[in-house]
Amino acid sequence: MLEHYMQQGSSFASQIDGLVWMIFLMTTFWFLLVEGILFWLLWRFRARPGHKAVYLDDHAEHAFEVKWIEIPHRVILLCDVAVIIGAITVWSEVKLSAPAPDEVVRVVAQQWAWTFTHAGRDGKLDTADDIVTIDELHVQVGKTYSYELGAKDVLHSFSIPVFRLKQDAIPGRVITGWFKPTIVGEFDVQCAEICGIGHGIMPARLYVETPEAHAAWIANPTHYLAYKF
Amino acid sequence: MVTARPSLVVMALVASVASGCASELPSDGVARGEALFKNCVQCHGAEAEGSTLMNAPAIAGLPQWYVAAQVTNFQTGLRGAHADDTEGLKMRPMSRTLKSASDVSLVAEYVSKLPVKRGEATLAGDAAKGQAAFATCSACHGADGSGNEAMKAPPIRQLNDWYVVSQLRKFKGGVRAYDPADTSGATMKAMAGAIPDEAAMRDLAAYIHSLPL
Repeated sequence: MLEHYMQQGSSFASQIDGLVWMIFLMTTFWFLLVEGILFWLLWRFRARPGHKAVYLDDHAEHAFEVKWIEIPHRVILLCDVAVIIGAITVWSEVKLSAPAPDEVVRVVAQQWAWTFTHAGRDGKLDTADDIVTIDELHVQVGKTYSYELGAKDVLHSFSIPVFRLKQDAIPGRVITGWFKPTIVGEFDVQCAEICGIGHGIMPARLYVETPEAHAAWIANPTHYLAYKF
Repeated sequence: MVTARPSLVVMALVASVASGCASELPSDGVARGEALFKNCVQCHGAEAEGSTLMNAPAIAGLPQWYVAAQVTNFQTGLRGAHADDTEGLKMRPMSRTLKSASDVSLVAEYVSKLPVKRGEATLAGDAAKGQAAFATCSACHGADGSGNEAMKAPPIRQLNDWYVVSQLRKFKGGVRAYDPADTSGATMKAMAGAIPDEAAMRDLAAYIHSLPL
């Protein structure tokens, strides 16, 4: 359902969507049920000619309280448990465990630009053939990437909506994470943490390429983001 | 009971629409340049006097041709697109908020008409030593540092001393004028490459800062 509005472009995107979807369904169910009951009660016990409005008072029968308060309360607690289990499962698979990366990419955020350091032909960072780009990240579909995320100045947040990836970048810290692109295409990278007056104008582009196209780019890395009026 | 009078509601609507219109940019001229300049104020200051805290130089009074050329360079990536140019990378997206060459020209014109501001000296350099080295600079920038448009050399006498050093460092290190298409920058890159060290840069900045405006 969510993929109808935003493609799922990473190996864990469907898990995150599933969790969001589960929470959405549960909260929608309870919202509609509770509001429905509320308005039904208001209508059912309303004041009308010959009848005063009826209110629940402190002397309600115990059975009444069990039916309308205790049972729903316990069912909601069960829903909470389901959400917690789902959230911890996804968190564990996406954040706590990381598969061995095929390649590492370095991401540095600053006001108001992204610097990406790609490993180059040798597949290793901090070597002579590293490829540094501004506001442009190139990756190969199907490859597992680890990222080293830093920030030069203030808080930023590395967000790739199509991957369902969002990670704060904090000055003075290098935060690691991973992703595995699953679809080829050109997508948005954005900052998801207000970082100053230029926060809204620091987008970058993600290029997920086939192995052949990626190899061609590595061999001849061009910057696509030429500015035009 | 409080009731809204229709006339007041209409007035409120008219006022809100009018205020919305008032926030529209003027269509042309100096007023448009001034309005566009408001995007620059956050870093460069209300009078374009610059800010050491924001690493933004004083730009008030710089000639229109130079400001327009540099903004265009930022837009096209000839300047400010090097990974080590932290300040340039900040200016790059801001320059791109100007959506036409005429807007660039109007902002540049507005900036050029602002009274020149020169910040306080912030570095300890030897102006006497700097004066000797400045002979090379004077070939393009003039003996008085007033610049020469024919040589595409801007006036430099009003620049903040810290900015002079930071730009010389960037030119020398290839962080500025990294693209061969930046021909005037390439000249400056070669000149900066001949400056032996940071101390010599500070000496130059001290001398430049001592030049009369």
